[in-house]
Amino acid sequence: MHELVSVEAVTRKFPLDHNYVSALSNASLHVAPGEFLAIAGPSGSGKSTLLNLIGCIDKPTSGRILIDGVDTSTLNSTRLTALRREKIGFVFQTFNLIPVFTAAENVEFPLLVQGISSSERRTRVAAALESVGLSARANHRPDLLSGGERQRVAVARAIVHRPALVLADEPTANLDTRNATQLIDLMHDLNRRLGLTFIFSTHDQRLLEHTDRIVRLTDGQVVSDTLTSEIPATAFPFAQPQMQGASHGQVSALSL
Amino acid sequence: MGKFLLLAFRNVFRNRRRTIMTLIMVGGGVTGLLLVGGFFARMFWGLRESTINDGLGHLQIFTAEHFNREEKHVLDTGIDNWRQVAASVSTGGHVRGVAPRIEFNGMLSNGVKSSVFMGSAVDPVAERTLGFTARLASGRDLDIKPSGEIEALIGAGVARSMSVKPGDGLTLLAVTSDGALNGIDVQVVGVVKTGFKEMDDRYLRITLPSAQRLLQSDRVTNLVVGLDNTDNTDLVAAQLVPRLQGLPQQLTLKKWIDLAAYYNQVRSLFTTIFVFLGIIVFFMVLMSSINTLLMAMFERTREIGTMLAMGTPRSWIMALLVLEATLLGFLGAIVGVIGGNLLGVIINHAGIRLPPPPGTNVPMNFHVMHVPSLMVGSSILVIVSLALASILPAIRASRLQIAEALAHV
Repeated sequence: MHELVSVEAVTRKFPLDHNYVSALSNASLHVAPGEFLAIAGPSGSGKSTLLNLIGCIDKPTSGRILIDGVDTSTLNSTRLTALRREKIGFVFQTFNLIPVFTAAENVEFPLLVQGISSSERRTRVAAALESVGLSARANHRPDLLSGGERQRVAVARAIVHRPALVLADEPTANLDTRNATQLIDLMHDLNRRLGLTFIFSTHDQRLLEHTDRIVRLTDGQVVSDTLTSEIPATAFPFAQPQMQGASHGQVSALSL
Repeated sequence: MGKFLLLAFRNVFRNRRRTIMTLIMVGGGVTGLLLVGGFFARMFWGLRESTINDGLGHLQIFTAEHFNREEKHVLDTGIDNWRQVAASVSTGGHVRGVAPRIEFNGMLSNGVKSSVFMGSAVDPVAERTLGFTARLASGRDLDIKPSGEIEALIGAGVARSMSVKPGDGLTLLAVTSDGALNGIDVQVVGVVKTGFKEMDDRYLRITLPSAQRLLQSDRVTNLVVGLDNTDNTDLVAAQLVPRLQGLPQQLTLKKWIDLAAYYNQVRSLFTTIFVFLGIIVFFMVLMSSINTLLMAMFERTREIGTMLAMGTPRSWIMALLVLEATLLGFLGAIVGVIGGNLLGVIINHAGIRLPPPPGTNVPMNFHVMHVPSLMVGSSILVIVSLALASILPAIRASRLQIAEALAHV
């Protein structure tokens, strides 16, 4: 089967004083296109490190990572930049929107970097903002948006250039439960409708029931890799009904 | 590109207080340069015009030999048919008049004491036409229509050492064009202060016919050409050169700038001072901006990391920071040009008096000229300075490790 992401026996060590600490040890993971996958684990378990490595913004100490069949260890800086630009979208814990840009301009930025024409940019930005339910807030700067809205802008920015893979590092960490659930549901909806592959990290157990697959990390090692459908409902102690507000992101006609 | 420029522009005003401080610093540098440069320009202009109007003229005509060989006798290399030359030159456009001159040396005596003089002989009518008036300390100028006594103007130093005043007599001795010694009695009609002590100690001026009688020659040393405007000097010189080539005697044309040694020395000195000042401003802006821009870059580390993560080429990040600094320099230059011109107007209206400049004894006004080329030059200086200051932060930003930058707090 075609794999979008292959993490093969990857270790990542960081220097600390005169020693090295392993943030990730011999981790392996395979992700098919269209998956909606959560990497779960407590703080310091290596979730962010794994996402950074998959996102080609960090390099493994050993092992290799293939994105869409391309061994990223063979790519130079320029080609890695191009790979990120074309195939990966990022959503960050602290939103990381450009504060002097409006919501629409933030969403437009990846297209700008790709050299997409002005008219095409306008169409795609409008569609992306519509897909996250923020058309009405397009001309607002980030400081005038709520936390949930900012993160939805970040999601729109991550998907606007039609990447093969969207990586979200603790996207709900700065949101309340309602907004966190809405965001995960929105991402899941985009995953289903557009066939986008989502990998996100979380330490919030309440969100895991909204995913298709859960990879658990502990002390830098993959300790389990399970389909959510195979986990009994009783395993989600904080399970709650899906919130109505999640329909914000469900748009009838997505044309990204 | 438009969006990129927009991003840079908005980033400039992100931290308004810091931007305002930087604009004040950059603008202050430009203002300082404009005020000092404008003052120097005014001083150069004043010195240029006073040099020309004190008798140098805009152009001078000599024989070619004058510069090629030493004279055996006075007026040996003088102009023969100077009336014809003067008439020919006078017909050109922009020419206000032509004044013949004789430069000669000799001794003067009051019967008790003798001294060396450096004399010049002039046509008072032509001199007055061109506005060349002697700086009289006492007495009067040479009479346009002299009668009787041969009149002379002497320097203040000569008057002092010879103990003479207007109305007193002196005897002039000089070697004629034939090599013989000749003498004439003159009456002092005025005492001149040139502003230069060395000149005042040797200065003597008589009329052209008197000098020709003393030197036994009909020749003149040179012809001084006065124009309607100094800016026309090159134009008229270009027109006169071919006309002079058609005359029997080989003549050469000199522009005022070629003969104004003192002007050139002063200009060179003050230009060096100005360049030095420009270098100081350049480095002041450079060093203080590096710190400001590094701080701005440090504050935006995570944002830059985000842009890099999204696949923004590192060269774009560099270009963005350089563009922001350049914009800041541009805005600072605008502030400085406006500030410099406003202050210049205020200073010009204040009528501030300054002590006499080096070598002269005439006080001057603090007057600032508005020089467009200076505005452009100063602006370019600070813009380049800020662009250069941004290179280090830009390189640092472009080399950020993305994962570390994203974790930056």
